[in-house]
Amino acid sequence: MIRESDDVIVKTVARLLMPFITIYALYVVMHGHYSPGGGFQGGVILAAGFILLVVTQGIAPIRKRMSEKIAVIISSIGLSIYAGIGALCLILGGGYLDYGILSRILSVDRAEARSLGILGVEIGVALGVMAVMCTIFFAIFTLDEKNDRRNE
Amino acid sequence: MEVTLLIEATESAFKILEDARNHAAGIMDTTIELMADENRFIKEKRCRAIFTGAQRRKTRFQNFVGTAIILFIFWALLSGHFDLFHLSIGAVCSLTVAYLFHDLLFVNVRVGNIHTMAWRFLKYIPWLLGQILIANMHVAALVLRPKMPINPRIMRFKTKLETDISKVTFANSITLTPGTITIDIRDGEFYVHALSQMVADDLYGGEMEDRVAHIFMEGDHLYVQDVLDAARIYETLGV
Repeated sequence: MIRESDDVIVKTVARLLMPFITIYALYVVMHGHYSPGGGFQGGVILAAGFILLVVTQGIAPIRKRMSEKIAVIISSIGLSIYAGIGALCLILGGGYLDYGILSRILSVDRAEARSLGILGVEIGVALGVMAVMCTIFFAIFTLDEKNDRRNE
Repeated sequence: MEVTLLIEATESAFKILEDARNHAAGIMDTTIELMADENRFIKEKRCRAIFTGAQRRKTRFQNFVGTAIILFIFWALLSGHFDLFHLSIGAVCSLTVAYLFHDLLFVNVRVGNIHTMAWRFLKYIPWLLGQILIANMHVAALVLRPKMPINPRIMRFKTKLETDISKVTFANSITLTPGTITIDIRDGEFYVHALSQMVADDLYGGEMEDRVAHIFMEGDHLYVQDVLDAARIYETLGV
């Protein structure tokens, strides 16, 4: 069980940094096709910000924002976005994840459709990675709680 | 004889009836009064709930807008692409993050003084930079002298700052200034390591603490929240 940190500086600075970490992670995700980064890295940064918040504020208030159930749902949403875009390309007559074919429904040229398709897949990957990281974190750090409950 | 008796009996009967009526009227009056009291109580409670609810909603909205603007500026600085596509993605992202985390960035902001606080904080930064410059030269002079007349000590003092954010600002200002380092904050007491008598005296003088208290409107300053609370109490009392 993770308790709230008793250091006011650590607690406050972590709280202040959290929105900036999140927006940086989203920047890394959204600019993955221009600069280094992408879905996986962005998702990991998102999860790292979340873990920072849990470690400093304690797990109880964070459960309101993100619980195990929500993490599982978000991870499946992420996977569905990835698989859905791939399958959409198949349905439209291209290969799996052949984004160029998306130009038929997006009413833009092939290059632009490719860029948008990559962006969509990256968002899916980021959501999946973040949720799975959170699930792993929850699984490791709430082990004591579960054992206690089982022993009772 | 019988007639007098009859009249007396009627009179007494009338008197009893009158008494009963008065009694009933009295009870009714009390009931009505009580009802009115209760009604007024409920109404006041509802008013207060609306008032505090509106206040909380207003604060939340302010926090949301402030967070969104700051995050969007941060996004624009990071991104460097100023075409419509990237800016609109940035707007969507910063609004989403602001919606999710509006209570993290400005958790203790009291109603109506966020602009003053931001302005005072901006004015505080140049002063702090000046202090850092002075302290730098002091520490350099200490260290460069062959005898090196340092006098390290750990000082402990009680602070008048109340909120977390002001304590953190003060602690970080102390650490940023060369010669002094905040070790810990525990139960409203600062533990600070100071390199020499002069920097310690400077800190004991409390100018920096006063300035930080001034930014966050603490210490001798009046809280807007307190004034609003007092107004509500006066309203209830009907003064």
